[in-house]
Amino acid sequence: MKKVKVAFFDFSCCEGCQLQVANIGDLLLDILEKIELVEFREVMSERGGDYDVAVVEGSITTEHDVKRIKGIREKAKVLIAYGSCACTGGVNGMKNNFDLEDVKKYVYRDKSDWFNTVPTMAVDQVVKVDYYVNGCPVYPPEFVRVLKCALRGMPYKVPDYAVCVECKFNENECMYDKGVTCLGPITRAGCNSWCTNNGNICYGCRGMVSNPNKNGQKEVLKKYNIPLDWIVNKFNMYNKAKESQQV
Amino acid sequence: MDKYYRLNKPECREFIAGLASKYKVVAPVKKGEKNYVFSEISSPDEIASGYIPTIIPPKKYFFPKRETLIEYDIRAQRQKAVMEYEKLIIFGVRTCDLAGIQCLNMVFSERPRDVNYLIRKNKLIIIGMECWDYCDEHAICGLMDNHQPKGGYDLFFSDMGDFHLIHVNTLVGEEIINSVGVFSPADEKDLEKLEKFRERKRKAFKTSMGVSHQQLKDIFADAEDAKVWEDLGERCLSCGNCTTVCPTCYCFDVIDEINLDFKTGERFRIWDSCQNEDFAKVAGGESFREERKGRQMHRYMRKFKYPLKKYSRYFCTGCGRCSRACMADIRIKETIQEVIKEKGLSNEKAGIS
Repeated sequence: MKKVKVAFFDFSCCEGCQLQVANIGDLLLDILEKIELVEFREVMSERGGDYDVAVVEGSITTEHDVKRIKGIREKAKVLIAYGSCACTGGVNGMKNNFDLEDVKKYVYRDKSDWFNTVPTMAVDQVVKVDYYVNGCPVYPPEFVRVLKCALRGMPYKVPDYAVCVECKFNENECMYDKGVTCLGPITRAGCNSWCTNNGNICYGCRGMVSNPNKNGQKEVLKKYNIPLDWIVNKFNMYNKAKESQQV
Repeated sequence: MDKYYRLNKPECREFIAGLASKYKVVAPVKKGEKNYVFSEISSPDEIASGYIPTIIPPKKYFFPKRETLIEYDIRAQRQKAVMEYEKLIIFGVRTCDLAGIQCLNMVFSERPRDVNYLIRKNKLIIIGMECWDYCDEHAICGLMDNHQPKGGYDLFFSDMGDFHLIHVNTLVGEEIINSVGVFSPADEKDLEKLEKFRERKRKAFKTSMGVSHQQLKDIFADAEDAKVWEDLGERCLSCGNCTTVCPTCYCFDVIDEINLDFKTGERFRIWDSCQNEDFAKVAGGESFREERKGRQMHRYMRKFKYPLKKYSRYFCTGCGRCSRACMADIRIKETIQEVIKEKGLSNEKAGIS
């Protein structure tokens, strides 16, 4: 079987998700049996050439980004949005809370005229996305699963149930019982409740389930005496760019 | 005649330590502030005292949350059935959970039999533990008539104050008694004491629900149109906690996953839930239970109506886990009360039972 050419690209992000690939371990050797890496800034200096699969990390935040991602989409047979920034806009979406001119001035001071900026967008707000690997960072076993689907042309469905499902499977004590606000009940699973297994809360980095019970969630917050904007702020940390989904 | 032994409290530690040196033993241990889980122990000190039902019931040992069923090789057109099991002693199983295991036994014994479950079940040794009072306000084991031991164990411990009285229910149980020489045969007086304790227990487990065990099935017989489901549907977050922690929920999904060689792979099953968005979705994206109220109604009917026809018993054990785990405070006691209010408890109805 001919090796599939895969290229990794990054837009606005920390490149931490790409680093996760390097952390996969032994399985990485099996992956490299199947793919030919043609571009991957995080781990290699060669670049250029054709590719079949584009793995895109980062969100779209400038006009230049918009042009570049459209170019990548044209060349790639398959496009995988990789990590929260690419899938939901991620933490970069917080920019959308402010006036763009103010943001530019805050960052670039007197040189702010040199740069243009647009509201943060997830990749699928600009071009068609074939596969999603949610998470900040991505959960490596899920990435391997998605990659296998992509290489074989099979669909991958991101779970559409709450992180609570996996958290309960893992018999964690509920964060709400500990008096801590957690986004597990409205966030899509698929990470094996990675954060709560390790004593942290769910930050909603995987985006919201398709059909959240907004009123029900508000009642729950009331019960625990948690102001609504705490949850909204927490949720906006990763999901501001997809505002239409908001609580 | 039934066989009973006594075990003095100080020697109980010796018994557990002896068991743990010979077998893999799991028992309830404390997790966090107010939760308990069944987990492997190596010393009696790890076992929690006065535990309420664990987050997940012992069903996880009979029916693991993820279990490989088949390993396959596409190129060679070969598949191999996989059985994953180990010998295990489950210590400290309450009567509600014994009832839950009995329900699962019925389900998985139906034809076509679930071989994986049945083989694994035979490797599991169950040591039950009696409750003398409700563990908390959520338990309805009295109403569900699961507060008294009704078999389903190898050994059953009753705490009699300064000693445990142990009922031997199987040959395997007898072997354990014989292999750890700290037991002495119980005498008449011990059994009289047990009877006295059980008499007191009958009073402690009186229900204040205003409905009898028999009447429950009548009020749920035509409860499909009750308004309470709408209320539950508005509150439910579909987090699936209620079904994951239920001792008699057994729905699973079957998934094929190929390895990176794209030749070999495995088929596994993983717990699923009728509360999940995609559970009743079919090709084309149509869902048969799109609304939460329908999903909640289904969950209750699967406990209080449907299984009566099929298995002649309720599938609610009364453990109270669904109420404890619910994010939205959906309480089984309140739901039953609402159904009673709507459907009424007429004498006529009581007469049908």
